[in-house]
Amino acid sequence: MNMSSRARRRAIPLLAASAFFAQPALADAPTNNGAAQVAITLTGDNGGACVLDHDSAAAGPITFTVTNESAPAISELELLSDSRILGEKENLAPGLPASSFTVTLDGGDYRIYCPGAAEDTVAFTVTGESKQRAQSAIGDLLDEGTAGYANYVEGMVGAMVTASERLAAKVDEGDVEGAKAAYAQARPFYERIEPDVEGFVLPGTDPTDNSGNLDYLIDMRASNLDPAVGWHGFHAVERDLFESGEITDETKAYAAELVKNVKMLADLSGGIEYRPEDLANGAAALLEEVQSGKISGEEEAYSHIDLVDFAANIEGAHQAFAFLEPGLKRIDPDVAETIAQRFADVQTMLEDYRDPDALGGYKIYDAELRKSDAVKLSRAIQMLQEPLSRIAEKVATAS
Amino acid sequence: MRGQDDKPAGLSRRGLFLGAAALGGTIAAAGQAAETGKVAPDAMPDPDQRRYAFYGTGPQAGIATPPQQHLMAMAFDLTGTDPRALQVLLARWSASIGLMMEGQPVGPAEPDRDTATALETGEALGLGPAGLTVTVGLGPRVFSKEMGLAAKAPPHLRPLVDLPSDALRPEISGGDLSLQACADDPQVAYHAVRILARIAKRTGAATVRWTQLGFGRASAGAGQETPRNLFGYRDGTRNITTPGQFAQHVWVNDGPEWQHGGTYQVMRRIEMHIENWDNAQVSHQNDVFGRHKLTGAPLTGENEFDTPDFKAKNAEGEPVIPTHAHIRLSAHETNDGIRILRRGYNFTGGLNAVGRLDAGLFFISYQNDPAHFEALQRRLGASDLLNEYISHTGSGLFWVPPAAPKGSYIGAPLFAAV
Repeated sequence: MNMSSRARRRAIPLLAASAFFAQPALADAPTNNGAAQVAITLTGDNGGACVLDHDSAAAGPITFTVTNESAPAISELELLSDSRILGEKENLAPGLPASSFTVTLDGGDYRIYCPGAAEDTVAFTVTGESKQRAQSAIGDLLDEGTAGYANYVEGMVGAMVTASERLAAKVDEGDVEGAKAAYAQARPFYERIEPDVEGFVLPGTDPTDNSGNLDYLIDMRASNLDPAVGWHGFHAVERDLFESGEITDETKAYAAELVKNVKMLADLSGGIEYRPEDLANGAAALLEEVQSGKISGEEEAYSHIDLVDFAANIEGAHQAFAFLEPGLKRIDPDVAETIAQRFADVQTMLEDYRDPDALGGYKIYDAELRKSDAVKLSRAIQMLQEPLSRIAEKVATAS
Repeated sequence: MRGQDDKPAGLSRRGLFLGAAALGGTIAAAGQAAETGKVAPDAMPDPDQRRYAFYGTGPQAGIATPPQQHLMAMAFDLTGTDPRALQVLLARWSASIGLMMEGQPVGPAEPDRDTATALETGEALGLGPAGLTVTVGLGPRVFSKEMGLAAKAPPHLRPLVDLPSDALRPEISGGDLSLQACADDPQVAYHAVRILARIAKRTGAATVRWTQLGFGRASAGAGQETPRNLFGYRDGTRNITTPGQFAQHVWVNDGPEWQHGGTYQVMRRIEMHIENWDNAQVSHQNDVFGRHKLTGAPLTGENEFDTPDFKAKNAEGEPVIPTHAHIRLSAHETNDGIRILRRGYNFTGGLNAVGRLDAGLFFISYQNDPAHFEALQRRLGASDLLNEYISHTGSGLFWVPPAAPKGSYIGAPLFAAV
């Protein structure tokens, strides 16, 4: 989280609900099936209310059972400790059967957060001590994930250096077909990790000046060409190879400059430390890339290998998710499973587009294929975007 | 049939509005002006604050309630065959529609935690309910064996038969779920379907298949002045308006009891070949419809609501209303008494692929048996003079369950044990 968003953040009132829910002290929740049982009822009374039958329980496993009796405005509920989300239920609506979740809690002050209720926060107290420390386990899992992901990014950057050098070598030889193949092999490395490595500005240049923007110099497209800075990078080489099919001295200069800039990127990006939300946000950004650049066919305007990039964006997003998955499974197993399933759906769909004879291993995304399949591709991504857009908060608040 | 006698000329607009409530459209907050004694310029409550009740017994809102100015229709495909996913979707949709019809957001637009992604997108904040109604329909595949809901199928639900002159495009036809959102503010209607599409994605139960924006209602409810379609003709002069007609022709009153008060919804995208029409002589245009453009009167009459005389002949012995005029072929007198409720909207999508105006009528009808629509369209599609100027390019059939009582949701009886 950056400073400006931290400043905007409003504190969740810790005991905002105490006046409304002031009631005779209730006994600790009764234990059944090895867990304390707390019933939560959502009602439409008084502008929407979130009512607990017990406001405390003994440390240990606690099962919260949620029923939406008559509260259309409340469709989810979270159990919070400070700002960490320890458990939650979604898709709550009047008329649906009750649903429950179980968490193991230590002694301390917790809150039930019901967005949409007039008093959206209810205090919950846990007394005594639990043997299991669930939270640090989640934090450890997420930390392992970010470290693993950092290795993945480093690996991709290294491979991109090698692939760019191969492309430049083919260009220098004047081998158009060989260069086209090398181009298709080099592209996926950047497309897997782009959100992690796109923010670098060369020392001494203004951040708004594209001549100092490493992402521009490596990956600018015809559609975002800055006339003041001109053609550079992958797509400048792509244009020459696929539009005119001729390698000129200028093409060779583009390729050589690309190698230089990719190596600079490798130096600058080494040793980046990631927070769990960076992985989640990066995965979401890659899906946005798919929607905005690949499905429209804008990214690879000359080579039409957009589906190669598409698959790489998905693979990169899936990697980021996979490194978060062990921690996310502890935080919210339902959403972890949903996202894993939707990644699998997209990957299954992509199998239909494989073509071993095509550059990069996927069908050429020409106007005809775009016309017939763009809607289907976009819909599959949308179904994945919606749940994925919500995990940044879950992992950011859990660690 | 509607004669001169029930012409609503003598009623004030307020009277009309309350009359509509008596018809069966529940209006929760009719007249703030009446309570305060303040008289608005047109003696109407603030249109932004007009609202209809979502929860209740009987039919869903958006059918008998007077047509609003704007439409946003959307159809969805189910993504799987898990009835539980559909149940969650219908319950969340219902709860959200109930709020939006009250003019309420579906949640905080700016949640306390700034790392949250909000469900409520915010673009309708402060606009009021604007008379919003969202009507939910279920397509034939909802009741498939694979979904395990075949035993709950409404008796007449099935895909529409192929009809003469159909030029249907699959990508703007069919669907497993339909939403008809109508409001007097287009942003309110758009917000509603946008939120509901978002919930569909969030639950993973359904994806958007097609959508249609409509403007300028093209048919009248009880007490509303008959509007005009994009051909310039009054549309819906002989529409269903009285509770008796609704009971006879629109509401389902057979089959399982929980289906009573439901109805069958037909949606058709009818493209109009505007440029050709505009170059046709007005006498030909009048012959096509069988009415005068300006007054809306049948060619055999003086006033809009005059009963057409299909037997009248001119000096040459030809029928005054041509044999294949739209008014004749669609009349209940010539169709064994069949009548359907029309609730259409005009639409435009800019220019089409060949550079002509892309515009037409988004036709919506309600009837207690889809065969009634088919019977009418079979005749019209075969020989209507209008066919030269229109193409039916989209089509869908949905069953619209009755409204949900508070604490429940649209279609809940589907998921009760058989």
